[in-house]
Amino acid sequence: MTDAPRARAGTPARAGGVEAEAGAPRGDPPAGAGGVLVIGYGNSLRGDDGIGWHVAARLADDVRMRDAVVLRRHQLTPELALDVSAASLVVLVDASEVGEAGSIAVRRLDPPSGAGPAWTHHLEPASLLALARNLYGAAPTAFVVSVGAATLEVGDGLSPALERALPGVVDAVARIVAGHARA
Amino acid sequence: MSRTIVIDPVTRIEGHSKITIQLDDRGEVADAQFHVTQFRGFERITQGRPVHEMPALMARICGICPVSHLVASAKAVDDIMAVEPTPTGADLRRIINLGQIVQSNALSFFHLSSPDLLFGFDADPAVRNIIGVARANPALARDGIGLRKWGQQIIEWVAGKRIHPEGIVPGGVAWPLTAEVRDRILAGVPEAIAAVERAIAWYKSDMMRWEEEAATFGNFRSAFMGLVDRHGNVDHYGGWIRVVDADGKMLADRVDPKTFNDYIGEAVEPWSYLKSTYWKAMGYPDGIYRVGPLARLNVAERTGTPRADEELEKFRWRVGRVAGSSFHYHYARLIDTLHGIEKIEELLRGPDILDKHVRSFAGINRNEGIGVSEAPRGTLMHHYKVDDDGIVQWVNLVIATGHNNMAMNRAVLQVARHHVKGETITEPMLNRVEAVIRCYDPCLSCSTHALGQMALRIQLLAPDGTILSELAR
Repeated sequence: MTDAPRARAGTPARAGGVEAEAGAPRGDPPAGAGGVLVIGYGNSLRGDDGIGWHVAARLADDVRMRDAVVLRRHQLTPELALDVSAASLVVLVDASEVGEAGSIAVRRLDPPSGAGPAWTHHLEPASLLALARNLYGAAPTAFVVSVGAATLEVGDGLSPALERALPGVVDAVARIVAGHARA
Repeated sequence: MSRTIVIDPVTRIEGHSKITIQLDDRGEVADAQFHVTQFRGFERITQGRPVHEMPALMARICGICPVSHLVASAKAVDDIMAVEPTPTGADLRRIINLGQIVQSNALSFFHLSSPDLLFGFDADPAVRNIIGVARANPALARDGIGLRKWGQQIIEWVAGKRIHPEGIVPGGVAWPLTAEVRDRILAGVPEAIAAVERAIAWYKSDMMRWEEEAATFGNFRSAFMGLVDRHGNVDHYGGWIRVVDADGKMLADRVDPKTFNDYIGEAVEPWSYLKSTYWKAMGYPDGIYRVGPLARLNVAERTGTPRADEELEKFRWRVGRVAGSSFHYHYARLIDTLHGIEKIEELLRGPDILDKHVRSFAGINRNEGIGVSEAPRGTLMHHYKVDDDGIVQWVNLVIATGHNNMAMNRAVLQVARHHVKGETITEPMLNRVEAVIRCYDPCLSCSTHALGQMALRIQLLAPDGTILSELAR
């Protein structure tokens, strides 16, 4: 959720060029060195809060994303600053409590110029960019794709509204990536 | 007239809690209590499940230290199956567990506590966080990020996933290690050692600033408990339980972890969901003891690895053979991390680490099993009872934060007595009461799954519940 701060804990995984479910050990992924990094994040066991995970799963099979690295995370943590700093474009996909269920909002992200927000275990998107800039001297072009959530109750499926919105969210991410490639 | 100060919730710890401070008629601190306000329930919800599921289920207790619960749970199921993992299987479990120790210790020191140490406990909370550290001391922040990432990668590469991994199973581990993964981890060892040694040097150069805090942050006499190997050195995975008193006198040594119930009791207080464990021989509440990085160093002869032993020698020269102040958990946590990195390297260079035999197989051969290991925050115990079909009938988890519960209460009381003057709630008091809790790095996610970002509120209440003053952050 981009609008309701809360702690998350969870499970990343990957396969091929994109993350996958758990299994035998694999190597460290290329973190989009000079390329595109997409991070779908949220709590996959909290209904629509898992939209980022579902989008990432769709992107894994999307030919338009063949040169991108796609990660799934339960929250944005400082460790991601290293990966973010190595990319030229970062797209963050999350659920939002603001807006109608299934509505898609895309906004370009700038790192905060002042003091960052207080932090417990996770970062807000702008703070992640600020960390990448302050620690590694690089802050790539970044977008946040927010999807209005219908329910955040316990459950590993999406609401009907977000199921319907899912292809549109995937397309929105793909358009950002395509636009970046043309630029 | 007595007063009560409430800090609710406490920030930058794992989970939810609040603190109440009771004032007496003269406005002096009479008592303090650290409350865990959410309910766990894992011991009940796992009843009726096949015992082979337990490691995977127990890992879900916590997103911060799932490996610790995996290890203790798998060992408990080993006990029920009456098997020992193969030597290589056990070593791979050790490596994964140490990866967990490194990444969790890094989280605690660099991300959660270094803002206090860098900016001071009275600095503006808007600056006193990891973003502020990144601006003021980017090298320190980079070292923290690098160490945590390396520890997480070890878990991911060896056990499958960095959170809730599936590579640790009853009887050993699920798959052997490849030479490629071994070499990739080894390639990161020099930088990991350099990063933690830089942090130790920084901490030592700065620690005199915190002399007052070291004197008042949970500085009291208590026993300490931890696992040691056959040489009496630190052992994060197996070995025996050792308990020493505040003077270093041995209270118990070479205690089989499977007999911990003979030595440790659990008390329940009505004001907290967190149980208070105590050393039975001393009774409740006198049987107070501490676990975790500080306790591991206090009970052990040495760490058993050269660089960490060198630092341990300096640590003991500075703070004594048995360090009594909980403030020194920070220092101890760094040495614990250094030892973990060295031990990982030692294990990876073992001649049989790539052996293909990594798992023992068996059925249900006992109706009861106990698994004990060292988690980042201290000794962790899983105790299960099953029926003849291996269906879980009863579960008891004794977690590190429970071991430290009485010590945390004692520490809060000491800090409050030092900093609470009259009825005025001050930021310095608030900051230090919170900070002393963070020394223990309590993991309340073992009690609950945290949801929601934690705010901070402190209240001064009259006996009738009237709020006399309030401070919110």
